[in-house]
Amino acid sequence: MTPSPKSQLSMAALGLVLVVVLVQVYLFETVLSAVLDGQRGLLPGAFAVSAVLTGLVLWIALKLPSLDRKP
Amino acid sequence: MPHWKKAFPLDLAEEAHFGRREFVRFLAVVSAGFTAGIGYLAIRKRPLEGAPDQAHKNLGPLRICETGDVSPGNSRLFTYRDEQDRCILVRTTNGELRAYRQTCTHLGCSVRWDGRRLECPCHQGFFEIERGFPVQGPPTRPLSALRVEEKAGGIWITGELPKPTVAVEENQS
Repeated sequence: MTPSPKSQLSMAALGLVLVVVLVQVYLFETVLSAVLDGQRGLLPGAFAVSAVLTGLVLWIALKLPSLDRKP
Repeated sequence: MPHWKKAFPLDLAEEAHFGRREFVRFLAVVSAGFTAGIGYLAIRKRPLEGAPDQAHKNLGPLRICETGDVSPGNSRLFTYRDEQDRCILVRTTNGELRAYRQTCTHLGCSVRWDGRRLECPCHQGFFEIERGFPVQGPPTRPLSALRVEEKAGGIWITGELPKPTVAVEENQS
Protein backbone atom coordinates (compact mmCIF):
# COMPACT_ATOMS: atom_id res chain seq x y z
CA MET A 1 0.00 0.00 0.00
CA THR A 2 1.49 3.30 -1.04
CA PRO A 3 1.22 5.91 1.67
CA SER A 4 -0.53 9.13 1.00
CA PRO A 5 1.77 11.83 -0.31
CA LYS A 6 0.61 14.04 2.51
CA SER A 7 1.45 11.57 5.27
CA GLN A 8 4.48 12.06 7.45
CA LEU A 9 6.66 9.63 9.30
CA SER A 10 7.03 10.06 13.01
CA MET A 11 10.17 11.50 14.50
CA ALA A 12 10.77 8.13 16.16
CA ALA A 13 10.84 6.41 12.77
CA LEU A 14 13.14 9.05 11.37
CA GLY A 15 15.44 8.73 14.38
CA LEU A 16 15.52 4.96 14.03
CA VAL A 17 16.49 5.23 10.37
CA LEU A 18 19.25 7.69 11.19
CA VAL A 19 20.61 5.31 13.83
CA VAL A 20 20.51 2.42 11.36
CA VAL A 21 22.40 4.43 8.75
CA LEU A 22 25.04 5.35 11.34
CA VAL A 23 25.39 1.65 12.16
CA GLN A 24 25.80 0.96 8.44
CA VAL A 25 28.59 3.53 8.18
CA TYR A 26 30.41 2.01 11.15
CA LEU A 27 29.86 -1.52 9.82
CA PHE A 28 31.22 -0.65 6.38
CA GLU A 29 34.27 1.09 7.82
CA THR A 30 34.99 -1.90 10.04
CA VAL A 31 34.55 -4.39 7.20
CA LEU A 32 36.78 -2.38 4.87
CA SER A 33 39.54 -2.20 7.49
CA ALA A 34 39.29 -5.94 8.08
CA VAL A 35 39.46 -6.71 4.35
CA LEU A 36 42.50 -4.46 3.98
CA ASP A 37 44.09 -6.47 6.80
CA GLY A 38 43.39 -9.69 4.95
CA GLN A 39 40.50 -10.88 7.12
CA ARG A 40 37.75 -11.81 4.71
CA GLY A 41 35.99 -14.31 6.96
CA LEU A 42 33.57 -11.77 8.37
CA LEU A 43 32.24 -10.66 4.99
CA PRO A 44 29.27 -13.08 4.74
CA GLY A 45 28.06 -12.21 8.24
CA ALA A 46 28.56 -8.50 7.72
CA PHE A 47 26.67 -8.65 4.44
CA ALA A 48 23.77 -10.47 6.11
CA VAL A 49 23.57 -7.90 8.92
CA SER A 50 23.79 -5.02 6.47
CA ALA A 51 21.07 -6.53 4.27
CA VAL A 52 18.75 -6.92 7.27
CA LEU A 53 19.34 -3.29 8.28
CA THR A 54 18.68 -2.12 4.73
CA GLY A 55 15.50 -4.20 4.65
CA LEU A 56 14.35 -2.52 7.87
CA VAL A 57 15.02 0.95 6.47
CA LEU A 58 13.27 0.11 3.21
CA TRP A 59 10.27 -1.20 5.12
CA ILE A 60 10.06 1.99 7.14
CA ALA A 61 10.50 4.16 4.06
CA LEU A 62 8.04 2.39 1.82
CA LYS A 63 5.55 0.46 3.91
CA LEU A 64 5.27 2.00 7.33
CA PRO A 65 1.90 3.78 7.56
CA SER A 66 1.80 7.34 8.72
CA LEU A 67 2.20 7.61 12.45
CA ASP A 68 2.24 11.32 12.65
CA ARG A 69 -0.14 14.17 12.28
CA LYS A 70 -1.75 15.00 8.97
CA PRO A 71 -0.81 18.41 7.68
CA MET B 1 7.63 28.90 14.42
CA PRO B 2 11.31 28.90 15.41
CA HIS B 3 13.03 32.16 16.17
CA TRP B 4 15.30 32.02 13.13
CA LYS B 5 12.30 31.75 10.82
CA LYS B 6 10.78 34.84 12.36
CA ALA B 7 14.09 36.67 11.97
CA PHE B 8 14.63 35.46 8.42
CA PRO B 9 11.21 34.88 6.86
CA LEU B 10 12.51 33.26 3.70
CA ASP B 11 9.93 31.43 1.66
CA LEU B 12 11.63 28.56 -0.10
CA ALA B 13 9.52 26.90 -2.73
CA GLU B 14 11.21 23.51 -2.22
CA GLU B 15 10.92 23.57 1.53
CA ALA B 16 7.45 22.12 1.65
CA HIS B 17 8.22 19.47 -0.93
CA PHE B 18 10.85 17.53 1.01
CA GLY B 19 9.21 15.64 3.82
CA ARG B 20 10.46 13.11 6.30
CA ARG B 21 9.40 10.21 4.13
CA GLU B 22 11.42 11.50 1.17
CA PHE B 23 14.41 11.96 3.44
CA VAL B 24 14.00 8.44 4.80
CA ARG B 25 13.82 7.10 1.26
CA PHE B 26 17.08 8.87 0.50
CA LEU B 27 18.62 7.29 3.61
CA ALA B 28 17.32 3.91 2.46
CA VAL B 29 19.22 4.32 -0.80
CA VAL B 30 22.34 5.24 1.19
CA SER B 31 21.88 2.15 3.36
CA ALA B 32 21.43 -0.04 0.28
CA GLY B 33 24.64 1.44 -1.11
CA PHE B 34 26.59 0.30 1.94
CA THR B 35 25.07 -3.17 1.63
CA ALA B 36 26.03 -3.30 -2.03
CA GLY B 37 29.56 -2.21 -1.13
CA ILE B 38 29.96 -5.02 1.38
CA GLY B 39 28.53 -7.46 -1.16
CA TYR B 40 31.04 -6.25 -3.74
CA LEU B 41 33.89 -6.82 -1.30
CA ALA B 42 32.54 -10.31 -0.64
CA ILE B 43 32.41 -11.37 -4.28
CA ARG B 44 35.57 -9.58 -5.41
CA LYS B 45 38.31 -12.14 -5.98
CA ARG B 46 41.27 -9.80 -6.44
CA PRO B 47 42.59 -8.36 -3.16
CA LEU B 48 42.41 -4.63 -2.63
CA GLU B 49 45.58 -2.68 -3.29
CA GLY B 50 48.03 -3.09 -0.46
CA ALA B 51 46.04 -5.85 1.20
CA PRO B 52 47.57 -9.25 1.88
CA ASP B 53 46.27 -12.05 -0.29
CA GLN B 54 45.55 -15.09 1.85
CA ALA B 55 44.36 -17.04 -1.19
CA HIS B 56 47.83 -16.76 -2.71
CA LYS B 57 49.91 -16.90 0.44
CA ASN B 58 51.80 -19.82 -1.04
CA LEU B 59 52.67 -17.99 -4.22
CA GLY B 60 56.13 -19.51 -4.17
CA PRO B 61 59.55 -18.08 -3.52
CA LEU B 62 60.65 -15.15 -5.62
CA ARG B 63 64.30 -14.19 -5.95
CA ILE B 64 64.67 -10.42 -5.59
CA CYS B 65 68.39 -9.82 -5.89
CA GLU B 66 71.81 -10.98 -4.78
CA THR B 67 72.62 -10.91 -1.08
CA GLY B 68 75.20 -8.17 -1.50
CA ASP B 69 72.94 -5.92 -3.55
CA VAL B 70 71.31 -4.37 -0.46
CA SER B 71 73.78 -3.03 2.07
CA PRO B 72 72.82 -2.18 5.67
CA GLY B 73 70.70 0.97 5.87
CA ASN B 74 69.57 0.74 2.25
CA SER B 75 66.45 -0.40 0.43
CA ARG B 76 65.38 -1.86 -2.89
CA LEU B 77 62.03 -1.79 -4.67
CA PHE B 78 60.44 -4.80 -6.32
CA THR B 79 57.06 -6.19 -7.38
CA TYR B 80 55.67 -9.42 -6.01
CA ARG B 81 52.13 -10.55 -6.92
CA ASP B 82 51.93 -8.64 -10.19
CA GLU B 83 53.33 -5.46 -11.72
CA GLN B 84 50.99 -3.30 -9.59
CA ASP B 85 52.00 -4.98 -6.32
CA ARG B 86 54.84 -2.63 -5.42
CA CYS B 87 56.98 -3.64 -2.45
CA ILE B 88 60.08 -2.44 -0.67
CA LEU B 89 62.93 -4.48 0.73
CA VAL B 90 64.98 -2.93 3.54
CA ARG B 91 68.15 -4.10 5.20
CA THR B 92 68.29 -2.43 8.59
CA THR B 93 71.46 -1.12 10.12
CA ASN B 94 71.50 -4.34 12.18
CA GLY B 95 71.70 -6.30 8.94
CA GLU B 96 68.18 -7.74 9.24
CA LEU B 97 65.93 -7.89 6.20
CA ARG B 98 62.36 -6.61 6.14
CA ALA B 99 59.94 -6.49 3.22
CA TYR B 100 56.63 -4.61 3.05
CA ARG B 101 54.11 -3.58 0.48
CA GLN B 102 54.70 0.04 -0.46
CA THR B 103 51.04 0.99 -0.22
CA CYS B 104 50.45 3.30 2.73
CA THR B 105 47.49 2.21 4.83
CA HIS B 106 46.22 5.79 5.00
CA LEU B 107 45.44 6.78 1.41
CA GLY B 108 47.56 4.46 -0.66
CA CYS B 109 50.65 6.52 -1.45
CA SER B 110 53.96 4.71 -1.79
CA VAL B 111 56.10 4.60 1.32
CA ARG B 112 59.88 5.01 1.12
CA TRP B 113 62.82 4.25 3.38
CA ASP B 114 64.32 7.30 5.06
CA GLY B 115 67.20 5.43 6.71
CA ARG B 116 65.40 4.89 10.02
CA ARG B 117 61.70 4.44 9.31
CA LEU B 118 59.36 3.96 6.38
CA GLU B 119 57.91 7.29 5.42
CA CYS B 120 54.79 8.16 3.47
CA PRO B 121 55.62 11.51 1.84
CA CYS B 122 52.01 12.43 1.04
CA HIS B 123 50.85 13.12 4.61
CA GLN B 124 53.99 12.57 6.66
CA GLY B 125 53.05 9.18 7.99
CA PHE B 126 55.81 7.00 9.45
CA PHE B 127 56.02 3.25 10.06
CA GLU B 128 58.57 1.50 12.23
CA ILE B 129 60.65 -1.03 10.36
CA GLU B 130 60.46 -4.00 12.75
CA ARG B 131 56.81 -4.89 12.17
CA GLY B 132 55.46 -2.11 9.99
CA PHE B 133 53.33 -0.39 12.62
CA PRO B 134 52.43 3.29 12.19
CA VAL B 135 54.26 5.46 14.70
CA GLN B 136 53.49 8.96 13.47
CA GLY B 137 51.02 10.73 11.22
CA PRO B 138 47.58 9.77 9.96
CA PRO B 139 47.99 6.01 9.23
CA THR B 140 46.39 3.76 11.84
CA ARG B 141 46.98 0.26 10.45
CA PRO B 142 50.28 -1.56 9.88
CA LEU B 143 51.80 -2.18 6.48
CA SER B 144 51.34 -5.52 4.78
CA ALA B 145 54.49 -7.55 5.39
CA LEU B 146 56.19 -10.23 3.32
CA ARG B 147 58.37 -13.09 4.52
CA VAL B 148 61.95 -12.59 3.36
CA GLU B 149 64.83 -15.07 3.50
CA GLU B 150 68.46 -15.16 2.53
CA LYS B 151 69.55 -18.38 0.88
CA ALA B 152 71.68 -19.64 -1.98
CA GLY B 153 73.42 -16.30 -2.31
CA GLY B 154 70.19 -14.42 -2.94
CA ILE B 155 67.33 -12.65 -1.17
CA TRP B 156 63.99 -14.41 -1.57
CA ILE B 157 60.39 -13.48 -0.83
CA THR B 158 58.72 -16.66 0.35
CA GLY B 159 55.19 -15.58 1.14
CA GLU B 160 52.82 -13.29 3.01
CA LEU B 161 53.02 -12.57 6.72
CA PRO B 162 49.80 -12.18 8.73
CA LYS B 163 49.18 -8.65 9.89
CA PRO B 164 50.26 -8.10 13.50
CA THR B 165 47.52 -7.03 15.87
CA VAL B 166 49.40 -5.61 18.86
CA ALA B 167 51.53 -2.51 18.47
CA VAL B 168 55.03 -2.43 19.83
CA GLU B 169 56.36 0.54 21.70
CA GLU B 170 58.55 2.71 19.53
CA ASN B 171 62.08 2.95 20.71
CA GLN B 172 62.45 6.66 21.33
CA SER B 173 66.18 6.51 21.88
